[in-house]
Amino acid sequence: MAVTVEQLSDEMYEMVKRDMGVKKYKSMDLQKAMRKKYEDQGADRKMLKLAIRGLIDSGRCVYTYFGGSFIEIPHEEGAAMRLDKEE
Amino acid sequence: MAEKTYETPLCDELEKGPYPSFVTEIKKAAKKTSYAKGVLGLLELSYKEKIGHWKHGGIVGVMGYGGGVIGRYSDCPEKFPEVEHFHTMRINQPAGWFYTSEALRDLCDIWDEHGSGILNMHGSTGDIVFLGTKTAELEPTFADLVAKGWDLGGSGSDVRTPSCCCGMARCEWACYDTMQLCYDLTMHYQDELHRPAFPYKFKFKMAGCPNDCVASIARADLSIIGTWKDDIQMDEGAIAEYAKTLDIAADVISNCPTSCMEWDGKTLKIDNSNCSRCMHCINVMPKALKPGKERGAALLMGAKAPIVQGAQLSSMFVPFLEMKPPYEDLKDFIDAVFDVWGEEGKNRERVGEFIQRVGMGNFLEVIGLEPIPEMIAYPRDNPYIFFEADEEEEEE
Amino acid sequence: MAEKTPTDIGPPHYEKFLPPVIKKNYGKWAYHEIPRPGVLKHTAEGGDVLWSVRMSTARLIATETVRWIADLAEKYCDGHVRWTSRNNVEFLTTEEKNVDPLIKDIQAGGYLVGGTGNSISNIVHTQGWVHCHSPATDASAIVKAVLDELADEFTSMKLPAKMRIALACCLNMCGAVHCSDIAILGIHRRVPEINHSDLPKVCEVPNLAASCPTAAIRPVKVDGKNSVEVLAESCMFCGNCYTVCPAMTLNDPEMDGVCIWVGGKVSNARSEPAFSKLAIPYLPNNPPRWPEVVEAVKNIVEVWKKDARKYERVGEWINRIGWPRFFEKTGIEFTKYHIDDFRYAGLSFKRTAQQRF
Repeated sequence: MAVTVEQLSDEMYEMVKRDMGVKKYKSMDLQKAMRKKYEDQGADRKMLKLAIRGLIDSGRCVYTYFGGSFIEIPHEEGAAMRLDKEE
Repeated sequence: MAEKTYETPLCDELEKGPYPSFVTEIKKAAKKTSYAKGVLGLLELSYKEKIGHWKHGGIVGVMGYGGGVIGRYSDCPEKFPEVEHFHTMRINQPAGWFYTSEALRDLCDIWDEHGSGILNMHGSTGDIVFLGTKTAELEPTFADLVAKGWDLGGSGSDVRTPSCCCGMARCEWACYDTMQLCYDLTMHYQDELHRPAFPYKFKFKMAGCPNDCVASIARADLSIIGTWKDDIQMDEGAIAEYAKTLDIAADVISNCPTSCMEWDGKTLKIDNSNCSRCMHCINVMPKALKPGKERGAALLMGAKAPIVQGAQLSSMFVPFLEMKPPYEDLKDFIDAVFDVWGEEGKNRERVGEFIQRVGMGNFLEVIGLEPIPEMIAYPRDNPYIFFEADEEEEEE
Repeated sequence: MAEKTPTDIGPPHYEKFLPPVIKKNYGKWAYHEIPRPGVLKHTAEGGDVLWSVRMSTARLIATETVRWIADLAEKYCDGHVRWTSRNNVEFLTTEEKNVDPLIKDIQAGGYLVGGTGNSISNIVHTQGWVHCHSPATDASAIVKAVLDELADEFTSMKLPAKMRIALACCLNMCGAVHCSDIAILGIHRRVPEINHSDLPKVCEVPNLAASCPTAAIRPVKVDGKNSVEVLAESCMFCGNCYTVCPAMTLNDPEMDGVCIWVGGKVSNARSEPAFSKLAIPYLPNNPPRWPEVVEAVKNIVEVWKKDARKYERVGEWINRIGWPRFFEKTGIEFTKYHIDDFRYAGLSFKRTAQQRF
């Protein structure tokens, strides 16, 4: 059975959500994980790119930058701002 | 917001002197926006305390993009509430940085409405940089930019906004159409530019000739530098004119790095087979000498600043490639590089560092290029060779 | 919420912005001259002429100034103007008679005309304290102070060769200063301060440890939470860890400062492109006008200007006279910090008995 772009986006989202706070994923980490699982069901480079696009355009995940770009659950804005302040 | 004006005696010192002052620029903007007032106050504090007051903020952007917005927050918003948020937006510049007055006013209108009224023309990579706005203004600014035909540039682990010299638009030395190629690659790699999927940044820079006015060899992951294959074009009459005012022997001949030129006081001879296309003689006598007619570009790769593993200059991969649209050979080359580095590169590893780690020989094999002596300054001078087992022997 | 903004439209096509004389002569320029500092005259094969008047601005510019530039472009250039790769503005006109009044208007506005030929063009630089989160020094202020001192070299063409100066406010070098005739570089000089309570919340330890070029960062538990320690003797203060993890701060008012590098170039003319080399390991941050840095740069410019042969860039001049003489002539002190001790350090040792006495 062929995998759909929506399915790939959903699974990528689950991965990000599951490992939030433990591991930050880059776009390619998510693409590689899905390709490993679904390559024989048609998950090619083009589909994986579209799946990333779907994941971001849906608003479920955003790109962040910490010395490199990652895909994460949206941060609450204050969180980054509280940094460096004495608690 | 309560409008506050800060005393800035240290900043004011930087309005003195003959060179145009950035403090004067900020003060111009401060007549209109509270952001500019705040940034001036914050800067004064930095001059007093000898330390920066901005915080990392890599969590903001516009919907759908991972590049183009640099999040920034003040670390003392209680003192300078105007710049609690001070995000930057990078706007993809037109190739060659040509503008009309109308286009400039469009950009100013948008930025006066949504941000600080302060910008960089241009940032280091080449973008128009809108300096300072708050999170809530990012989407409206983006919408207004798009409505006027502008888009954001790159940031983060993506294709950074390509940039080029003015090339054929205003330079007799351009060996290919830098602006057209810059525009073509920018449009072709839109997805890679806006949606960071690489180990780290990737920069394209197009220079029309080996003078390299965009410093591509120092800072582009892919430096596309114009050059030519055939003989330097000579205008005998113009050479004779130069000879009246120029010491051709001293100024031209003795500066030739390969000693491929001769001048007997009347005739200039060039051994073109020994010319290294350095540009010196052409630079000195632009009316008399020109690059040849068989023009194209060399592809060099891997330049970067020190972070992480040390600085590198780009090195030669393809000595000569014709540069004609739709640039299929070039795009095939780029895609082969993106495939291997994009998948195998480590976080924050530029392509130049990746090549160092895996070995140039191995890298060439993967992207399908033959090793040639043009790629090296000299062959290895150490005997630690990673010989591979001979396949035929293995089979026996 | 309003409709989603369309994406991926890319920049406007450059052809929209080109003046008619450029469209007509695209790829057909024959030669150029520099009739006077700040003015380029390009002649096309068919005889058309384009005048470009080059004006300095600060890289940081107000919309009010950009609007003024647009006004000038309309007054003299049918609205056509461009920027150079070194933050200069170029007004483009086909009318020679426009050049003088344009220059007068530019100067009346407080801006300079120059930056052509054998001059010091605008100093390219980074954001510094105006906007950056990891700077070891300011950018705009030093650039302004240095260029105030060297403004005559912008508006004239009396130097042996081009002089390209660049400033980066930390080792990240947004804008690759490492191949400049003179590079001014912000440096940190102390080990990062670790905020152990924030670190586990915002940073991933494996990513952080991997970010260190010298493997000086090691995972440890602090009060039962994941954190790191830094081996002080292996730290060269590059700031990589801070970029990856904001809980590792390096900024320090007394320890941060500036170093000066010389002899790099990007052009292939005569000698090959080259990195800049260390001239002065440390100068203090002394805002708002950094007198020590201004003096150091001015000194190098003056010694080079006096001693170099025609066309010799700083690096080419030093290669001819040798490094010992560079230090002697500039009076710059040579220290152990000038001798490389990072990877492949030996390549920069002198491996010959050839000497000058």
